Amino acid sequence: MSVFMDLNLSYTTDKNRLQSVIETAAHLGFSTVAINYGFEPTAKKKQEIPTPKPINELIDQLPIVQGRSRPIRVLNRLTVVMSDSSHFRPNAAEYRSFDLLAVQPTTEKLFHSACMLLDIDIICISVTEKLPFFFKRAPVNGAVDRGVVFELCYSAAIRDSTMRRYTIANALSLMESCKGKNVILSSAAEKALELRGPYDITNLGLLFGLSDAEAKEAISSTCRSVLLHAETRKTASGIIYTTKTCSDSTCQQEAPARSELCEAPAAKRPHLAE
Amino acid sequence: MVRVKSRYLLCEVNVSDRSLLLLLDDRAIAAAVKSVVARIHGDYGAALCSIRFSVKYLNAHTGIVFLRFPKRCYKLLWSALPFITSVESRGQNIPCFLNCLHVGGTIRTCQKFLVRYNTQQLHRMLPKCKNEEERQEVRKAILNCSLTRQNKETFQDETESEEDEEE
Repeated sequence: MSVFMDLNLSYTTDKNRLQSVIETAAHLGFSTVAINYGFEPTAKKKQEIPTPKPINELIDQLPIVQGRSRPIRVLNRLTVVMSDSSHFRPNAAEYRSFDLLAVQPTTEKLFHSACMLLDIDIICISVTEKLPFFFKRAPVNGAVDRGVVFELCYSAAIRDSTMRRYTIANALSLMESCKGKNVILSSAAEKALELRGPYDITNLGLLFGLSDAEAKEAISSTCRSVLLHAETRKTASGIIYTTKTCSDSTCQQEAPARSELCEAPAAKRPHLAE
Repeated sequence: MVRVKSRYLLCEVNVSDRSLLLLLDDRAIAAAVKSVVARIHGDYGAALCSIRFSVKYLNAHTGIVFLRFPKRCYKLLWSALPFITSVESRGQNIPCFLNCLHVGGTIRTCQKFLVRYNTQQLHRMLPKCKNEEERQEVRKAILNCSLTRQNKETFQDETESEEDEEE
C-alpha cells in the first residue's frame, strides 16, 4: 500500500463539516490532505488574500490514518483564479504562509505563463465549463520539465451530469498533450460524502484517459513530488533551510511546532538528491 | 473443465449516520449499481451489468458489500461505482458512497481480507472506548477470535455487533 494524498479539500467556515471531511479522508486511507483556500481577484475592488487558519484550531485531534499508526498530515493551499496577469503577485508575503500554491488560468496566454514562468506548484484545470482554450504541447512540456503539475478535480463530476461531461472532456484533452505525466487527481470535496477511496479514484482515472500505473501515480508519487517542489520553492532549491532559533522563554511555546516543521524537510532531503 | 471467471469487489458503504446502514438490503444496492452503470455507460454498460452481476453478501451492521462482476468488464463497471451518491431503500433515500477495499478472484480471498480488515478496525476503535470495562471486553473478544481458528467467524460477528453498540 503506497501513500495516498488528496491535495484539495475545500475550506468551509463550518468547522464540524471540515472536521468530518478530514476524518473521512483518514478513514479512506489518505495520509496527507491539503485544505484549499480559494481566491478570485476581481478588477473592481481589491480583495484580501485569505490567511490560513492554523490546523490545531480547525481540528482538535488529528485522526489516525487507516492502515497506519500515524495521524493524518494536513497542509494549507491557496488557489488563485487568474483572469489577468496582475492577479498573481509573485513574492507576495501572504503567499508564504501557505504550503502549496496553485493557479487556475482562464485564458491561453495566462496558461502559457503559468506553465513557463510563474513560481507555483499546481495548475488547476477547470472542470465546470467547456475549455476556453486548447492545451498546446509547448507550454505543457515546459510545465512537465519544471515539475509543475496539472490538477483534475472529480467531485464536480460526482455532483452533476453536465459537469461530468465537461470533466471527462477536459481531462481527455489534457491527456492528449501531457500523456498522463504530471497529473494529480484530487477531490475538491466540500462534504464528507464527496470523497472517494483511493482505489476507486485509480479506477476512475480510466475514464479520464489515464492508464492503471499513471492513475496510481496521480494520487501517490506525483503528489509527493508536488510537496517536495513546494518545499524547494520555500528553501532555495531545497539546499538551504533557515529556521529561527528561540532562546527567549516567550518563544518556548512555539518551539515544538517549529521543530516539527524543520524535521520534515530534513527527512526528505536524501530523496531530493536522488 | 475451465470455470467461469469473475471478479469480486469488496466494498464498504460509507454513510454519515451509521444507524442508516441497517436500512440497506441487497436488492437496493443492486438497483443502485445497475442504475448508475446505465447512467454512466449507457445501454452497453447496462447490458454488461445484466449478465453475471450480483450482490453476493451484505453486512448491514458494518456496511460491507460483496459485488460480483464478470472478469472481462469489471474495470468498466467499477469505474461507474464512484458516481453512486445515494441508495434508495425501503422508501428512504440514503446518501452514501461505496469505497472499494479489495478486488479478488474468489469469494474466499475476499473473506480472508475482510477478517483481517475487521480485526484492524477493532484495533483502530479500541482507543475510542469510553471506560476500562468496555476496553477489556473488546480486548478479550479480539484475543478470542485471533487464537481459536475454528470459532473465528462466529467471534468475528460478535465483536462486530459489539462495536456497533459502542459507537
